[in-house]
Amino acid sequence: MSTPDPADTFRQEARDLLESLEQALLDLEQAPDDRELVDSVFRSLHTLKGSGAMFGFDEVADFVHEFETAFDRVRKGESSVTPALIAVALSAGDHVGKLIEEPGRHAAQGEPILAALHDIVGDRGAVKSTSVPAPSDGARQARTWRVRFRLPDDALALGTNPLLLLDELRELGECKVEALADDVPPLEEIDPQVCYFAWDVTLTTEAPREAIEDVFMFLRDGMALEIESLEAGENDGPSNTDEVSSMPTKAAAQGETQVQGAGRQGAPATKAGKGHSSSLRVPAERLDELMDRVGELVIAQARLSQITGASDDLELKTVAEEIERLSSGLRDITMGIRMVPIGTLFGRFRRLVHDLSHELGKEVEFVASGEETELDKTVIEQLADPLVHLIRNAVDHGLEDPERRQRAGKSRGGKVRLAAVHSGAEVAISIRDDGAGLDAERIRAKAESAGLIAPDAKLSDHELFQYIFHPGFSTASEVTSVSGRGVGMDAVKRTIEALRGSIELASEPGSGTTVTLHLPLTLAIIDGMLVRVGEGRYCLPLLAVEECVELPEAEITEAQGRNFLNIRGSLVPFLRLRELFAAGGEPDPHQKVVVVSSGESRVGLVVDQIIGNNQTVIKPLSRLHADLGTFSGATILGDGSVALILDITHLVSFGRGFEQRLRDERMRREA
Amino acid sequence: MSKTILTIDDSASIRQMVSLTLSGAGYNVLQASDGEEGLAQATAHRVDAVLTDLNMPKMNGIEFIRQYRAHPSSTGVPIVFLTTESDGELKRQAKEAGATGWIVKPFEQDKLLAVVKKVAGS
Amino acid sequence: MNEAKRAGIAMQALVFELGDEIFAIDAAQVREILDEVPITQVPNARPFVDGLINVRGRVVPLADLRVAFGMTRSASDQDSRIVVIEIELAGEPAIVAIYADRVHDVADIESASIEEAPKVGMRWRSEYVRGIGRRGDSFVIHPDLGRIFMVESGMDGSTENAERGSQ
Repeated sequence: MSTPDPADTFRQEARDLLESLEQALLDLEQAPDDRELVDSVFRSLHTLKGSGAMFGFDEVADFVHEFETAFDRVRKGESSVTPALIAVALSAGDHVGKLIEEPGRHAAQGEPILAALHDIVGDRGAVKSTSVPAPSDGARQARTWRVRFRLPDDALALGTNPLLLLDELRELGECKVEALADDVPPLEEIDPQVCYFAWDVTLTTEAPREAIEDVFMFLRDGMALEIESLEAGENDGPSNTDEVSSMPTKAAAQGETQVQGAGRQGAPATKAGKGHSSSLRVPAERLDELMDRVGELVIAQARLSQITGASDDLELKTVAEEIERLSSGLRDITMGIRMVPIGTLFGRFRRLVHDLSHELGKEVEFVASGEETELDKTVIEQLADPLVHLIRNAVDHGLEDPERRQRAGKSRGGKVRLAAVHSGAEVAISIRDDGAGLDAERIRAKAESAGLIAPDAKLSDHELFQYIFHPGFSTASEVTSVSGRGVGMDAVKRTIEALRGSIELASEPGSGTTVTLHLPLTLAIIDGMLVRVGEGRYCLPLLAVEECVELPEAEITEAQGRNFLNIRGSLVPFLRLRELFAAGGEPDPHQKVVVVSSGESRVGLVVDQIIGNNQTVIKPLSRLHADLGTFSGATILGDGSVALILDITHLVSFGRGFEQRLRDERMRREA
Repeated sequence: MSKTILTIDDSASIRQMVSLTLSGAGYNVLQASDGEEGLAQATAHRVDAVLTDLNMPKMNGIEFIRQYRAHPSSTGVPIVFLTTESDGELKRQAKEAGATGWIVKPFEQDKLLAVVKKVAGS
Repeated sequence: MNEAKRAGIAMQALVFELGDEIFAIDAAQVREILDEVPITQVPNARPFVDGLINVRGRVVPLADLRVAFGMTRSASDQDSRIVVIEIELAGEPAIVAIYADRVHDVADIESASIEEAPKVGMRWRSEYVRGIGRRGDSFVIHPDLGRIFMVESGMDGSTENAERGSQ
């Protein structure tokens, strides 16, 4: 195993600390009097400084030291929290990030930040404090010392081992040790936790007096210690005889705490009983590797089940069941390890909105919810850029400036909501602004001028909106420094689709726009339902399945036209997978409908047979099949053959298209 | 049998450095990232010495020392705290709470090892 | 391969039959040769790559060169094999499989016998052929697999699959 480099650990840790520093600062802007937040800022700085100095990040330690000094005035209540302070503190945090990532390249930029910081907290001319190491004597000739010491009463209880002290003295030179038992009380009065002995040591050493004092460094102000030079004329006088008079009071204070603490003993003990867990950082590749192995295990296990299913050997069956149980447990744990709360991403968006609102002169309230919603780490990693883009869009293009809002009878400040929720086999993440909404006319004009649609094309607003996902399509007539970057909505859409997700857009003129991303929970292993369509077997995520019903007789004859099923009063569009897949062979006389859902929408999938549930290890399709929307991947079945996994979001939107067409038709008829 | 040292620090890099240094010298090392966790570890395992940071989230080092000292299992266990500045006040509080000694950060690995040897033996 | 020819280096090639033609591909890119395995049809995929197979736990696309060369696809028999090869797709290495009616052998194809594909008078898209060699009396086709996969799978954007086409 390779030894981890603490400097790397520090870099990672510093990123986390800077992240929590940023969050605390942003929170503090909202709640300037929150002491806990001030403490939290302080703690982050403190750890950054301490650890930075430990691992040779001197620039960081120096800068943070100044930062901390300035912030100490806030902590002491000598300076108050203002937006200006937060702004400078945030940029100071950014600067620390740079110092860590690229040492030696940014030091100069720190000065103006610190100057601004000190200006704001009003401590210009703060003295840089540096700790000066105690001067030490040079090497000397060997000398003989008499060292007498008596430990404080509580020393043994506090973990001092007098034998270790003696050993240490012996390391310095030749020792003659004498224990003084004068103070040892009669046996019945002995408290085993109290040390009654004193020692008298004659030590000959070349080491200076400080070295001897160092042996007792942790004890000196609680103990009786005399160090006397036995050389002629070398008696250093009474100042070197440490006789600390505060000892009894200290012991009393100690006793008090113990009594006080006794009542609380239960709590930590029970906690310990539960085996309080500590966390561990693991390289991401190892998790991926683990997942791969578990995937292989699950497939092998499926084969085993298939084989034992056909066997009469009871013992074999028992073992196979045991292995099935174990492998599914292992699968769940492995997947659980990979799940990361999406809140880890949300943090950076607050900062983004904070900066954007300053930059654009818009008042923005940012509300995030569902931070605890968990997604596979691969998905989370890929989500950052698209979300940044969408939030930027919402603030920059979605929200109007305060004057325009006021004229429209809205509050001056706009609101951007970011929400994550679980629904079935997916997570929906929505970004919603209360701005002006998408301008359908402008989108149409742009699409026409780009030659994407004919001037007389009849399109619903919803259909028009889809054009903003076209490459190079940007509606903001003035490109601002914020949104006018190379990545557009088309890139967002590509990323989301690559994650086997989908993107939805809804907009209401005057009241805002909502973009919703639907993402699969995981990209690794899912519980699947295996179905047969013609000769082929297909897998669908079990979490998306709402129910299975028989296809009513009446529907079988009507292949065209009424592709709707009446399920307890609601009309559900259905897709005949036999038609969709051009399946051969005779249809099963008892076709089934698997009703699946994605978000609000449902669709029925007509299949020949429902085979059963299985654990589905998702294997991505190669790039040769990347453009097939109907399938999100493939899996290997127990018999070693490959089954395709149906993409529910794609199929549901397919069904929604059906519905739309039906509605349009009905409207035409009524017109 | 090798001695067991518990290191409590919210800084993962410090924990790692302490852990590498001490395990390299033959110690068993337990880790905790705040006082609460530290207390759970210290009371659940037999430890020979504790190294704790003072400034930590949830439960700080001083409170940890107080609560641990109130627990019978802390008897005879030296507690050394790590502190970034030579802040007399914090040091006084920590010692009053029952700490055995301290190390000022930044420190060298040799120094750490020397202190641990001093309080726990090798 | 043309470089190889100019340098006068012989090529180790896997020679196989498909329809009425004999093909030779660089033996270095062949990973393994499989007897008949269950093939999963991919609905609405392009005919060139409409199958998937399981190669040691990996889902691998199965391509049919007959589609690229406009030959009829006949049913497989006991001599049929599947050749698993490694190619580069849009700059990234990929594992794919191709059909073979019969696999002959690995042979040293003399560089001198590899002729530049005649641009005129060929039945096939000339970009699909790297060269034509001679083996005894018959011609051996050296397909440009990278090119064929790019074009036939639509990765170069020139064609659409059935699913897209129908939408």
